[in-house]
Amino acid sequence: MLIVGEKINASIKSVGQALLSKDEAFLINLAKDQVDAGADFIDVNAGVGGGSRENAITTMEWLINHVQRAVDKPLCIDSDDPAVLKAALNQYVGETVMINSVDAEPARLDAIGPLAAERGALLVALVMKEGGIPRTVEERLEAADAIMTRLTRLGVREDQIYFDPLVLPISVDTGQGLVTLKTIEQIKARYPSAKTIMGLSNISFGLPSRGIVNRSFFLMAAAAGLDAAILNPLDKQLMSLVKVANMLSNRDPMCRGFIRAYRKGLISD
Amino acid sequence: MNDIIAQLRENVIQGRMTRDDEGIDDTLTGPGVVELTQMALDNKLPVKDIIADGLTAGMEIVGEKFNAREYYVPDMLASAEAVSEAMDILKPHLKAADLAMKGNFAIVTVKGDIHDIGKNIVAILLKGAGYEVFDLGIDVPTDKIIDYVRENKPDFLGLSALLTTTMLVMGEIIEALKSEGLRESVKVLIGGAAVSKEFAREIGADAYCADGFEAVRVLDSYQAS
Repeated sequence: MLIVGEKINASIKSVGQALLSKDEAFLINLAKDQVDAGADFIDVNAGVGGGSRENAITTMEWLINHVQRAVDKPLCIDSDDPAVLKAALNQYVGETVMINSVDAEPARLDAIGPLAAERGALLVALVMKEGGIPRTVEERLEAADAIMTRLTRLGVREDQIYFDPLVLPISVDTGQGLVTLKTIEQIKARYPSAKTIMGLSNISFGLPSRGIVNRSFFLMAAAAGLDAAILNPLDKQLMSLVKVANMLSNRDPMCRGFIRAYRKGLISD
Repeated sequence: MNDIIAQLRENVIQGRMTRDDEGIDDTLTGPGVVELTQMALDNKLPVKDIIADGLTAGMEIVGEKFNAREYYVPDMLASAEAVSEAMDILKPHLKAADLAMKGNFAIVTVKGDIHDIGKNIVAILLKGAGYEVFDLGIDVPTDKIIDYVRENKPDFLGLSALLTTTMLVMGEIIEALKSEGLRESVKVLIGGAAVSKEFAREIGADAYCADGFEAVRVLDSYQAS
């Protein structure tokens, strides 16, 4: 299970503040802590620069520069704006990189797909089209098909694509947990080389005891074939479940990863 | 209080839409909100009392429980859906009772943003609170919103955005309302994960609402003034 650390995101208040005041020490610590906790990629979202694209670009470049000098894990470059992504990739050093994200909207695919193809970047693709988040498995698979067709035509390989099956709160629609899980299964069946990735916290919006709901859903998703998760690696319980999930879904030969983590005191029983 | 109305209030609090609904605590049996509303009408109880002492009084308690984290989103939605259904039953009887809906509320998720869960929750709570709600949808371009306000003259416009990228569109909408001479005709309320009271002040919105219950309170405060 590939872990993308989600903590460096401008929509988190303290991070937004640190980006504004150019407090690189705060952001570097956040990157290091996530790497120490076991993150494989560090997501970097530098926000929208107060509405100025130029500002958004320079902030992203500044952020990447500092984080890359501090940690030797690859980054997941997180922006809605193709111009920001392009500038970020120019700034980025190293071969392995993830782009977050595209959806089935043709203009976005045409702008971002070639960047991913040229760079060999992993690419997060949300399975939605224009007109909102699809509520059904079928509509999500249609979006996945549209994405796959267009991206491969642009020169992106199937194994570069990380489909996000979309997670909606079950507090407003109790069917949504299964919709996400079935979408993962179907994507894995249709595109054996493609990967799946998702965020965890949406599922439990509006419910009490959100931690156990998120963690349980993560395990169910791992069983359905989830390959990667965008999460808070500083959550120790969740990170011990990552080891458990790897082991229980036959991704941990001889259970070594789990036992090693246990010996390091990383498994909370 | 009339027994049917008292029962109605209790069933709203329990989020029991109909008689076969077990409700939040699984403690009530007998008719639910839909049946009790019909019974109240059949017994010629004043529509005003059915709404105020039954539905609204019940929803006020639901709001208190939600704010106290005794109730969660599914609980609140169950009550809101039941009340919304009751309002549909009562609507044809409002005029005869010399009552009206409290105002027209248009709600929309702004351009570039496709999140609708928060918007839908606010819409159903306002409907239950007696407002005529018009849902304009998601990812709606600013000029469409301006056209709607010009043509339909809603009393209130609710703008929703979840993202730090799309919250900026709210300011554009308010500027466009100003330049079209429509700003004074409509009260603008904003909500969504990314926005705040300060942001509402910055862009010149009339109010920020943290959740649907606050939206009801804010709108009702305009009624009083």
